[in-house]
Amino acid sequence: MSSPARNPELVVDGFPTRRPRWVEIVTSADHKDLGRLLIGGSLGFLFIALVELLLMRLQLAIPENTFLDPVTFNRMLSLYGATAIFFFALPLAVGLFYYVTPLQIGARGTALPRLGQIGTWLFVAGATVLYAGFLFTPTEAGVNPLPPLSGIAFLSNNGVDAWAAACGLATLGFVLIAVDLVATLRRLRAPGMAWRRLPVFSWAAAIGSWQLLFISPVMLAAITMLLIDRNFDGIFFAGDAGGSPLLWQHLSWIFYTGTYMLILVFALGAIAEIVPALSRKPLFNRGATIGSLVAIAAIGTLAWMQNMYTAPIGIGWMYFAMAMSLTLIVPFGLVFFNLIATLAGGTVKMRAPLLFAAGALTMIAIGLASEVSHALVALGWRLQHTTDSTAATHFALVGGAVFGGFAALHWWFPKMTGRAMGETLGRASFWTMVVGILLAFVPLFFAGGDQGQVVDAYKFFGGNGALDADNLIATIGTFVLAVGIVMGVANAILSREGGAPAGHDAWGGDSLEWFALSPPEPHNFDVLPDVRSARPLRDIREAIAHSSARAEAPARESQPVA
Amino acid sequence: MTPHSPGTDQIDTLLWIGFVAATILIVAVVGALLYVLRRYRAERGAEPRQVTGGRRIQLRVGGVLAAFAAALFVLGVLYTDKARETPTTTGESSGLLQLSSSETLKIEATGQQWLWRYDYPNEAFSYYKLVVPVDTAVELDLVSTDVVHTWDVPELAGKRDAVPGKTNHVVFSADQEGTYSGQAATLSGQAYAAMRTEVEVVSPQEYEAFLESTKTDIQAAQDRVVGLIEEGKTP
Repeated sequence: MSSPARNPELVVDGFPTRRPRWVEIVTSADHKDLGRLLIGGSLGFLFIALVELLLMRLQLAIPENTFLDPVTFNRMLSLYGATAIFFFALPLAVGLFYYVTPLQIGARGTALPRLGQIGTWLFVAGATVLYAGFLFTPTEAGVNPLPPLSGIAFLSNNGVDAWAAACGLATLGFVLIAVDLVATLRRLRAPGMAWRRLPVFSWAAAIGSWQLLFISPVMLAAITMLLIDRNFDGIFFAGDAGGSPLLWQHLSWIFYTGTYMLILVFALGAIAEIVPALSRKPLFNRGATIGSLVAIAAIGTLAWMQNMYTAPIGIGWMYFAMAMSLTLIVPFGLVFFNLIATLAGGTVKMRAPLLFAAGALTMIAIGLASEVSHALVALGWRLQHTTDSTAATHFALVGGAVFGGFAALHWWFPKMTGRAMGETLGRASFWTMVVGILLAFVPLFFAGGDQGQVVDAYKFFGGNGALDADNLIATIGTFVLAVGIVMGVANAILSREGGAPAGHDAWGGDSLEWFALSPPEPHNFDVLPDVRSARPLRDIREAIAHSSARAEAPARESQPVA
Repeated sequence: MTPHSPGTDQIDTLLWIGFVAATILIVAVVGALLYVLRRYRAERGAEPRQVTGGRRIQLRVGGVLAAFAAALFVLGVLYTDKARETPTTTGESSGLLQLSSSETLKIEATGQQWLWRYDYPNEAFSYYKLVVPVDTAVELDLVSTDVVHTWDVPELAGKRDAVPGKTNHVVFSADQEGTYSGQAATLSGQAYAAMRTEVEVVSPQEYEAFLESTKTDIQAAQDRVVGLIEEGKTP
């Protein structure tokens, strides 16, 4: 006699045949597939950005070089800026947030997966549009295409339109992913995963997502105005017709400064996962560290006018920007202090992720300390627009996105692939990158601060031994840095198939992603533990140790006494 | 780079303040990081104490950092205000150019792709090279006819943008005769790197002579062009 099925969800009419891998990826709305797409894509664009940077550095190796003509140089410069920010640093941060956060909070997926899917493919669309520019004429308006130069009167080909569409599509994509992350973080946390127990990297993801929700609409508005100005006779940025070029500067710098902070929040969030696990201690002053990350995002963005000290704005605005910039010393200092205090007294295992984390902290410290001097208004008049600011920005952002990004990649690679990244090649790439970044950018501090070499120029004039030497060393250093980065990316590619099997908990981590399989199942978790503290996996380990000790005790007592 | 104007003297001082502050921050962070990484290496079987933090030490560290930031802010405002002060005109200029000590010699600097044009008070003008008298407060009104340019002669003044539709100002007073070179500092298109400028600081008498001869030359050139047009030969 057959009764109605008690568990109807178990009645299955056979499994659908598995589709080819590429169809699975293209149609997937799973945060892990999309996250890997973003991370893989960003590493590809890191390589392209390096090629562009190397071409520019080759041109600047010797004075009055003619290796690149001015137009080609300006195109490389513009593409490098867009690629490094919109197609490397941002998708790497957003991709890792998107991959890791649902796992860390014990969610079986994201709240609005199709939104994340659209977002990821908008990023792909943006990248395609930017590089389709090579089919006609790429933009030559610079890293931040300031009107009127980016206006139709001065660059009448479609390069700037392609830049605007590309960066607009990518930015819109990141916002959609951010919306999904915000919804996931609000609605899908596992039972017991209160905000106060949320892992620091998930906090960084929450901060970064809200940051994107605030700053991206500003950039999208600016890009829309630029497109209207260029194509529909708009006057938003026309200084003599009722608009103002300064409007673009304000809007774009809000976005760029916010992005700068987002990348540092991402890096520090990842490092705050690595440092406690590899020193076997909880994060020192967790609450204050998270609060500091919130403050960095908010206050840092408010300092946008630090980039406009030379513009015709009132001195009061400049002092406001200086106040915001200098205030950042407190939250950044507290994060650094708490990370170092976590290491102190711990048992530090110097594995590759920690090595990269320490490198990232060092480079970010050098970059931000230099930014402190740029924030002093009158000194900004001297140092900004010189290679000194190039060096400061690159120390902070290469420190955050490349060193911090590689730390995070080494850390979560075992979770994504089930295999560990090679430790030896990882160390070799790390030390090459350290030598490279120091050689590449320390000389630029002197070229800019001491000799006044200006940014973005396709050539410099010789006749000055120190300036010539600075530029030559910087070019050599950039090559060394590129070799190190390529070694790091190669390590990731080789380890996907050839790395040592890592198991589900590669590092003895405390957060829930290490409870899932490596790589995780599409639904992330079969079962979830109760979350009762900020370190749920440590609780499980202790419970197991406790219960096995209890089980052993009576067994020992029952042993016959000889 | 030697400062040659009261404003750049202040900027030079601020450069040292910024350098010392940055060095302190870098040495503190990197030194502490390297120390703990060397000191606390893992040992077999060692289980570290699970210290979660302390409010006391956090407040203290925060206080020290805030004091550091506040001190930098005060120094920044003090020296920036000094650097912004309009310098006083001294020496012969005051008599010869009839400038009182609080007045400035106003010259308009126009940025255009890829050249600077300087318009002097007597309607003389020059391209590329700016000629100014020594020990005289000079105020440049920066304007642009096309895209954003940045005027930058680092020995004489901090850099400022020339933005279309707005007027920006630079004041300086060169303390020594000589030639100071500068370069535009915002990407302005193809020939941006070649957009340089030069400031020639001369005695007030030479400045007067330069203005007169330039004006005469310009007038002569204009007369010649007008003459050619009147003769029916378009130049």
